[in-house]
Parts: sequence; C-alpha cells; structure tokens
Amino acid sequence: MNPEPAPSHTRPLPAAAPASGPLPARGRLDLTDIQFRPGPGPDAPLILDGITLRCEPGEFVVVVGPSGCGKTSLLHIAAGMLRPTAGSALLDSAPILGPGPDRAMVFQEHGLFPWLTAAENVEFGLRMMGLPAAERRHRVESALRMVSLSTAGHKLVHELSGGMRQRIAIARAMVVEPAVLLMDEPFASLDAQTRTLLHEHLQRLWWQTRHTVLFVTHSVGEAVRLADRVIVMSAHPGRIRREIPVQVPHPRPMDSPELADLGRIVRTEIQEEVARVNAELENGHR
Amino acid sequence: MSTPNWKTAIGRRARVAAVWLVLILAWEGAYRAIGWKPWVFPAPSHVIDATLSMLNIHTYLGEPLGPGWPLANPMPVDNPRAPGTPVFGSPLVSALTYSGLRMAIGFTAALAFGVAAGLLLWRITFIDSLLGPLFLGLQTLPSVCWVPLAILTFGINERGILFVLFMGSAFSMAIAMRDGLRALPPIYRAAGIMLGARGLRLYFRVLLPASLPAFAGTLRQGFSFAWRSLLGAELILLTQRRGIGFLLNVGRDFADVAQVVAVMIVMIAVGMAVDRWCFAIIERRVRTRFGLAQPR
Repeated sequence: MNPEPAPSHTRPLPAAAPASGPLPARGRLDLTDIQFRPGPGPDAPLILDGITLRCEPGEFVVVVGPSGCGKTSLLHIAAGMLRPTAGSALLDSAPILGPGPDRAMVFQEHGLFPWLTAAENVEFGLRMMGLPAAERRHRVESALRMVSLSTAGHKLVHELSGGMRQRIAIARAMVVEPAVLLMDEPFASLDAQTRTLLHEHLQRLWWQTRHTVLFVTHSVGEAVRLADRVIVMSAHPGRIRREIPVQVPHPRPMDSPELADLGRIVRTEIQEEVARVNAELENGHR
Repeated sequence: MSTPNWKTAIGRRARVAAVWLVLILAWEGAYRAIGWKPWVFPAPSHVIDATLSMLNIHTYLGEPLGPGWPLANPMPVDNPRAPGTPVFGSPLVSALTYSGLRMAIGFTAALAFGVAAGLLLWRITFIDSLLGPLFLGLQTLPSVCWVPLAILTFGINERGILFVLFMGSAFSMAIAMRDGLRALPPIYRAAGIMLGARGLRLYFRVLLPASLPAFAGTLRQGFSFAWRSLLGAELILLTQRRGIGFLLNVGRDFADVAQVVAVMIVMIAVGMAVDRWCFAIIERRVRTRFGLAQPR
C-alpha cells in the first residue's frame, strides 16, 4: 500500500475496476464492404478494398497498419470527410453523408483555432449547436475539468504545451457529446512521457464516458494499451489482415505482461505485412 | 551580466540618430563652406525652412550666417509659399487633410473590393482562372498609367483621383487576400465543419478569423500601394489645387527645390508613420495572438 497519495497521473490504477459509465445506447458504427479510390476511373489506385468493420456502442477500436495502408482514409470515411467509392458507412443505421458533431474528430495536429482561447475552443461546438450561454459555460467548465485543465481556459493556443493542446482538442471533441469519437494519431507528435500520461488520461476519460472510439495509430504499444479490439491492416490495397481482441480488463496498468505479449503478436503481423509489401514491390520492379 | 533589452535598443537608436545628425550637419557645412547653389540642391536648413513656411512659420534658417541669423529678413514679404494664415489653415495642413480624406474614401473602397474579390477568387475556381491572371497583370501596371484613362473618363476631378487610387491598390489587395486564404491550413476548415459550422457561419466563425494574419498583411501592403497611387494622381490631376501631391507640383512651378524636397520628405514621413504606428501594430497584434510572432 502506498502511504502517500501520488499525483493522480502517476498513481497506479486500482486492481478492482471502478464502475464504468453506463454503456451508451447509440454509437454503433457500421462500415460494410468499403472500397475507396481517391480519383475517378479504374486507373486510380485502390486504397481500401472490402473493409467491413463494426464498432459496438462503447467499444474502443484501434486500427494499426504500415504507412500507406489507408487507415487514415478509413477514419475520414467514418468522419464523412471522404465518400467511399463503394460500400456503406452507417452510424446507428443512418448513412454518413458528411462531417458533423455526432462524429467528433481529434486530429494529429490538434486543429485548435489560434484566434480563440482554450475555453473558447472547447465552447465552439456548443455555440454552433446554439446552446444558451449558461449551459455552454457549465459544459465547458466540466469538460476542462475532465481533461484537468480547469485553470488553463483563458490561455491562447500557442501558450499551451503540446500535451495540453491535445487535451483541449479532446475536450473540444467530447463536449459536444458525439456518438463516436474519431482519433487520427492524436498523440503522434508528442514526446514519450507526455504520450504515456495522455494514454492513462484518455483511458480514464473513456471509462467514465463510454464513447465509441475509433482510433488510428502507428504505435503498437498505444494500440494494445487502449483497445478493446485491435484491427491490423494490410496495404496496397488496404484490407483487414487480422482482428485481435484485447481482453485485459479496464482500467489497465500500462505495463502489464499480457499487453506486452499482445503487442508482440501485433508487431509480428505488421512486420510480416511490411515484408510482404516490400517483396511485392521488388518483384514488381523486375 | 547582460544589459537589459531596452537599454541596448536605446543605445542602438542613439547611435543611428547620431550618425544621421553628423551626415546632415556635414551636408549643411559643405553647403556653407563651398557655396553650393541652393536652387540646384538645397541644404538641410533650406528644407527645414521650406517645411516650416508651408506651416506658415517663417524662418530664415537658409540664409547665410551673419548678424541677426536666423531672424533677419532679407526675403521679400510676398513669399509665394505661404499666404499669411495660421498653422491650421496653412498649405501643408490643408493639403494633408485633403489627401487624408481622399485616402479614407478610396482606400476603404479598394479594401472592401480587395477582400470581397479575394474571397471570390479563392472560393470559385472558375472566377480565379477568369480574373486571376488579369488581376496579376493589372497589379504590375504602375498606378500613374491609369491617369490618362481617368482624365478621359472622369475628367480632372475628385472622381478621377479616386479612380486612380482604387485601380492602383484594389487588385494587389485582391491577390494578396486570395494568396493568404490559399495558405490557410485546411485543418481549420475540417475542424470547423466537424464541430457543426456550416455555410456563412463557417466563413464568419472559422475561415475569416483564420485569415486574420493574411488580412493584416493585405491591409499593410494595400495602404502603401494606395498612398503611392494617390500621390501620383494628385501630382498630375491638379484638382481643386489641393492635396500633398499638388503641393509638390507647386514647388516645381516656382522652381523651389527646397519645397520639392520638403514635400517629398513629408510624403515619406506620413507613409512611414501610418505604416509603423497603425498597420504594423495591427499586424503584430494579430501575429502575436496567433503565436506567429513573439510579443514585444
């Protein structure tokens, strides 16, 4: 037993899982037989081919794969920023026609608005929803508290550190209460320590709010730490190579041996995939 | 121990001022020692004298040193530079007032056109391919080249001057605005749409605020284009015999080299002052807020 309470971000997670938030009724993301070519005509390269992926309400799904496997395109299709060439993309049985706040996205380069303060950034989506000022203030305050940045609300974006910016970006996406949270390598540009802190932070947040999360990353460690299910993709064209469920109960200690074993499995899959692609490229050149 | 920043800044400014002072005094000294002809090229004292007399303050700084200098009055009383009126009714103040009014009207119109046209060029590809090259071409045309057309179309009047001012600055502002908008990171648009900003709100809440640094640059560049166009137009279109460009022409008509140089210095000083104490400050504030520049 630890006699002195350590700061919250270094405290080991308790062995017995605290009660999670209730599983949400909405947030089922259905991608069926998705095909994607970036241009018109059959000459454009096939980026995604026959992707079928269903995320259940409250599930945390992480997509990993080598560079160029189309994982970001897949996320952009779920966001409605790209339209699939063939196949259907549904959210709670309704077709995804364009980007919208029911599928809030956290970008790799945060995408916060530099002309607004941190709090105003979080407030932006609520303003667009036309909520009254009192409710906006209340929800912004609780969102800032969620990401432990209650005192940083008045700061301008460039006055925040990289990790703080991503936390504000997460608060900005969560405050609109989306059905699905889409995360596009949100921690890729952070240093290793900050990334670990944010993993714990995100896991705690997700456990409380139980959003459906579709998360794209390069990092295998990140994938197995956070995911209920890891999707390994193959490249050229992007297909689902393997699905690996991560049955370690939440909340997880970040250094559990089970996670390390799963990480090795995922890493092997990706290495084989990279070797296959390289071999194909070499044969293609001959 | 390092000296504080403001101390080195003051030291640097003092050194710059000192060198300029030495150069100006050397010029004055050379004029007086060698005996250059003041009607070919004036000494600093003539220029100061001319500037003050345009403000209806009459001095005799340019006269040879001797008993009574600079208070003696060897010049004729009917000094053509200045009909005897107080400072606020003096030729220089009245000219600056007129030029300022013309700038206020013409530059505002050109800015409104530039921002609107820049937005259209940016958003609608067809308009950009139709007008983009034309605007770029018009931007290379020196603004005084609009003067003959202005005279023939509008005549020698205020509208002619405003036409030249507008044509000389509006297109460059449209191009600058378009280029600034083009350089916007696409992530702001994506983030705005993702958070539910659509249609006009996407423009007013996301795209226009995001383009503030580009707008501040456009403003600053547009002002210098507009100021130059105005002076050129006033120099040729001598409407109502008013304006700072007109005053330059008066200097030429009276073969008063000192006044010509004095008016040129005023033109430069006004342009620099507005740029430095108005537009540069706006630009720095915007860039500081966006984290693009260190606060000073």
